[in-house]
Amino acid sequence: MNEEKPTLTPTPNQKPQLGEAGEHPLSVLLFSWMRSKLAFRIFMAVLAALGAVLIGLEVVFSHRPVTSIVTVPGFFGIFGFVAFAIAVLSGWPLGKLLRRPEDYYETRSGEAGRDR
Amino acid sequence: MTVDRLLDFAVTINPGFYLIIAALLVAVAKDAFTRAVALIGGPGLALFAMLYPPVSGADVSRELFVGFELSFYRPDSLSLIFGLGFVLAAALGGVYSLHRRDRLQDAAGLVYAGAALGAIFAGDLITLVMFAELATLASALLVFAARTGPAYRAGMRFLTIQIIAGLLLTAGVALYGVEKGTFLIAELGGLWNGLVIGIIDPGSTGGMLILAGVGIKAAFPLVHNWLTDAYPNTTETGAVVLSPYTTTMAVYLLARFFAGYEPLIWIGAAMTIYPVFFAVMENDLRKVLAYSTNNQIGFMVCAVGIGSTLSINGAAAHAVAHIVFKGLLFMTMGAIQLRLGTTKASELGGLHRTMPWTALACLVGAASISALPFFAGYTSKTMIMTAAESGPGLFVVWLMLLFASAGVLEHSGIKVPFMAFFSHDSGKRPEEAPFNMLLAMGLSSGLCLIIGLYPGWFYELLPFRDQAQEFLVQDLFSISHILQQLQLLTFAVLAFMVLWWFRVYPPERPGVIIDVEWVWRKAGPMAGRALTRPLRAGGRIVSALTSSAIAGIQSASRQVFAAEGVVSRKFPLSATAILALCILGVVMVISLFQ
Repeated sequence: MNEEKPTLTPTPNQKPQLGEAGEHPLSVLLFSWMRSKLAFRIFMAVLAALGAVLIGLEVVFSHRPVTSIVTVPGFFGIFGFVAFAIAVLSGWPLGKLLRRPEDYYETRSGEAGRDR
Repeated sequence: MTVDRLLDFAVTINPGFYLIIAALLVAVAKDAFTRAVALIGGPGLALFAMLYPPVSGADVSRELFVGFELSFYRPDSLSLIFGLGFVLAAALGGVYSLHRRDRLQDAAGLVYAGAALGAIFAGDLITLVMFAELATLASALLVFAARTGPAYRAGMRFLTIQIIAGLLLTAGVALYGVEKGTFLIAELGGLWNGLVIGIIDPGSTGGMLILAGVGIKAAFPLVHNWLTDAYPNTTETGAVVLSPYTTTMAVYLLARFFAGYEPLIWIGAAMTIYPVFFAVMENDLRKVLAYSTNNQIGFMVCAVGIGSTLSINGAAAHAVAHIVFKGLLFMTMGAIQLRLGTTKASELGGLHRTMPWTALACLVGAASISALPFFAGYTSKTMIMTAAESGPGLFVVWLMLLFASAGVLEHSGIKVPFMAFFSHDSGKRPEEAPFNMLLAMGLSSGLCLIIGLYPGWFYELLPFRDQAQEFLVQDLFSISHILQQLQLLTFAVLAFMVLWWFRVYPPERPGVIIDVEWVWRKAGPMAGRALTRPLRAGGRIVSALTSSAIAGIQSASRQVFAAEGVVSRKFPLSATAILALCILGVVMVISLFQ
């Protein structure tokens, strides 16, 4: 009787399970909650709520007068959102413009396709 | 008494020498224990020497060497804080490298650290240049140490660029020293708020050359690709050992020589922005971290350019904090490199299942570099941001730095940990990192938290400690600063989640991103080939004519001298007699007419 040993590599169609064979207990404890789509949605909602609270706190605690756009409550939040989105979305056109095949500089045989 | 005298003597030596001596010991160490003692004890001795200098803000001794007055050791508060960063990096790098028994890498790493440490404690320009060049050679060995074709070629490019930087620095130092009549740092300029900084005039020829040399070492825009080219091609330990020294030493030199030089503000601000876009596109996560290094050095260069006590404190603090958290991030990627042989995001994902400790360390590094309050990056970067915000006419610069802060969160705060450890499941289940690597990551993580949670001791070590303490009390943990930073980060993370949810976050694709290096890796060879084409055509014609002439001569010679040649052929007797009669007739006719 050969008992089937748990494999560390899942088969292609196998969905990742919580605490799957070979998974480290610390991973189960700390990170396994992240794998469901619901958790992702909840985390996104929590972040949005936290953002709103932070802006609210700024209104309450910041006593400086609104003299420029920088001093408007929520400026840093909106700036962070927009700046992040710009940085990420620029990856699409820039990637098309600047991405080249892996062996563009280095082929397996050497620099710029020259055999060495 | 003898011990006291020995200790008194020990603290008069430039701490860099302790690491270099440890390197010699490591190179000949035959057992693991001796090796471990040298790797960790060397930095320990250097730290002891640094913390108990016989004097501060003055030369420990001056020596006359081939007609030049030199000062091998000149400690002050600016050197001390950078030195602390270097010693920490050397010790952590030593722990991280314990699993790999490679004498070349161990010795080169310690020489590199020692030379960089020696350079920042040097009291004259000649000693400084000698240490800086030694650091260059040792760092190149670390790139070569991967012993692969791409690493060899990256190493050669790295060495070429670093030697150019070294030559510029040497020429600049020679010109400037001769012009001023001294090479001693203490005599090149006066005190500014009790510190010898901003002492070189960048308008002079020597000053310009020094700035150019240091600028290359700091990876200024357009000359930054040595950084992104070399680091990802090293071994898993090589990138960790390479990351702290050259660029940080350059920041120290900029602060020492060019503090308050206005163009540095804009150069630094540009440095913070453009790597963000390249890091977003880049697939190799170690290369992402190299771009991230470029971006973080930009913050420091900008702060040096601003030149206030707050900004210089910020640059120095950020240099040390950056050494710790960037080292930590490189360590986590090194662990993946060791286990899987790659750090390409397109081949990773879901590694937290079997590498949770490494993932956790990566998250601490990511939080630190993103300047999350109560982590190391917040402690240091807040000073730079405040200096830019309060500086006259620096609103645009401040906005650029703010944009770069969101960018940092994107590439180093989210992309690196998310793509490696979370994201989609790549199906790979590598073993957790070796214990020594985990220990180094744990210690680095601890330092990130200690600097973030208890910054008082850290601020005590900064060049202008009174101003630092004042900032700590009044600004660092003020509600407005914490709220602003938390807002920036919360909404940026929210943007990431929204973009990921709507599947508009660019996927990680294999490929290389062309950068300025394209000029010397692709355009240069292409231009060279195009320019030499006419010459090659002429060369081909000359070669063909020469070959044809040589072939004719060879053929004629063969007919005359070879056994099968025409001349050697056997003729019939009658033909020979007729030929002899003909020759005789010709001779007679000639004789008749004479």
